[in-house]
Amino acid sequence: MLETLPQALVTGVLLGGLYAIIGIGMSLIFGIMKLTNIAHGDIMILSTFLTMFITQNLTGNPIIGLLLTIVIMMFFAVGIQKFLINKVITKGAEPALLVTFGLSIIISNALFLAFGANTQTIQSPLVSMNLIRTENVSVSMMYMVSFLVAVAVIVVLTLVMNKTSFGRAIRAASSDTVMSELLGVNTKRMYVFAMMLTVVTASIAGMLVGMTFPFYPTTGTQYLIIAFGVVVIGGMGSLPGTLVGGIILGLAQLVGANFIGPTYQQLIGFIVLLVILAIRPQGLLSKAVRK
Amino acid sequence: MQGVRKNNYTKSLAILVIVIVLFFLPQYGSDYAISIGVLIFLYISLGQMWNLLGGYSGLVSLGQQIFVGIGGYTAALVTEVWHQSIAVSLVVAAGVSLVFAFIISFPIFKMRGVYFTIGTWIVSEALLVFFRNWKFVNYDAGYNITIAYRIPMSQIYHGALVIGIGSVVLVYLILRSRMGLALMSMRDNEGAAEVRGVRLYRTKLYCFVISSVYTAITGVVLYLNIAYIKPGAAFGIDWTVCMVFIVVIGGLGTIEGPIIGAVVYVILRQYLYSFPGISMVILGAVAVAIILLMPKGIMGAIHKKFGVEVFSVRRRIDERLEDGS
Repeated sequence: MLETLPQALVTGVLLGGLYAIIGIGMSLIFGIMKLTNIAHGDIMILSTFLTMFITQNLTGNPIIGLLLTIVIMMFFAVGIQKFLINKVITKGAEPALLVTFGLSIIISNALFLAFGANTQTIQSPLVSMNLIRTENVSVSMMYMVSFLVAVAVIVVLTLVMNKTSFGRAIRAASSDTVMSELLGVNTKRMYVFAMMLTVVTASIAGMLVGMTFPFYPTTGTQYLIIAFGVVVIGGMGSLPGTLVGGIILGLAQLVGANFIGPTYQQLIGFIVLLVILAIRPQGLLSKAVRK
Repeated sequence: MQGVRKNNYTKSLAILVIVIVLFFLPQYGSDYAISIGVLIFLYISLGQMWNLLGGYSGLVSLGQQIFVGIGGYTAALVTEVWHQSIAVSLVVAAGVSLVFAFIISFPIFKMRGVYFTIGTWIVSEALLVFFRNWKFVNYDAGYNITIAYRIPMSQIYHGALVIGIGSVVLVYLILRSRMGLALMSMRDNEGAAEVRGVRLYRTKLYCFVISSVYTAITGVVLYLNIAYIKPGAAFGIDWTVCMVFIVVIGGLGTIEGPIIGAVVYVILRQYLYSFPGISMVILGAVAVAIILLMPKGIMGAIHKKFGVEVFSVRRRIDERLEDGS
């Protein structure tokens, strides 16, 4: 077991990058509109299916497929935010939570209707490539690309949030709704923009997930829990925190699986998450603010 | 005051007649009607128990399928592996779920609001993975519950009837008790309730344990009706989907809500049965539409329009107190 540990560490960190980009949209939504988006995993898998469908049937190139997917998903984001979530967001936490829950059921079953229960993949040459290959450790190109893309997305988003007036308006809308309305920020409109940003990151994450792992219509739940784990460990609403959260979760899963057995990889992730939630309910990195 | 009294008598009489009619359904009803009845009663129970958590205590759980699964697996293990009776499996299910609810209450009660919601879901997903890898429960293959073939349908029907009506009575009694007051004050304003002397942790714990044990007992009968069990279905989120759906369309935080919700849900499901896949899409869309248009569900809309309440948990001033005696 000890000789395979370096491999587990490397893969764990890189997988953590992928987890971070899965969780980043959930973190954004929570940070900005204090909403736990239960449909997050399904929205991501929806984009994965779209990318797969467009790539297979129209373009042949997953990058162009991704760009088209992002355009479609942005319309979808405007639709669900404007006509569903914005209608209930002011009525307390539960109605909005239940709306996203309903949305999650609708998306996963609609995908099942459209594509069947079969396991799918997005073909990519990156999967079989290795960046480094030695006797003990090899670094998969796919995992490395996911990790780098995650870091890039997090850096760009942090810059957008902190340096642009758009980012400032979004942050204002999240920290004090009434005050920012008084100062001329249309908070509901900012929520729509936030949802659009979220689906962009979810689409990117969706493509990477689809290339790395097989997926089917009900996988959304699994990624929702990963996203939630990342966000909880890193602290709800903190962007750099999601990267740390992703890496911790990835490491916990793979190091645990290395010693106990690969079938328990998921279970170990869940247990680590529950332990962290029980010990520090506000997340590892966020300040101890409880409402 | 006299009017209220009279109204109460007619109401009790009506409820009694309905119960009697339902009790003798196996004598005159078709097999189809009986099987629909079984489903409605069991789903009423699931809905009531979810409502007790989500509607009255503010504990929105997405993990109550844990207890459906525990109930179902207890029924399978007790009858298939140890060859004991159904009564034994009911007792074991109650015991196991009591202990399990108590154990997981330590971590998940540290979480609040949405953390609790997702925390409960993670527990159930963890259990699902665990059961798939657990030799003791026959891994992913699960069990056929063969005892289910030997018991007559009318017996399952009466079991379901008792559980369904029992759940309504139980929730009614809890809400009329001191604990019910504590629960509702807690839901409306946790801080104020605590300052006024409500023991938050203990009240929530009782409520969670009661709901979980009753859900597990319902799970036993549910799986006697289904007759085979697998981890994916037993611990699947679908159970919670239906609980949430029943409570949301019926009316969150009302006793009548889950009853109406269960009837609508079961009938809608039967209608949509011939369109697999699309039925869940439609159910999801109906639920979302109801949250948007009727936030208090069907019962809330009825109550607002006509002022009708069948099971009132509000306290009325007693006549004797009014007379001053």
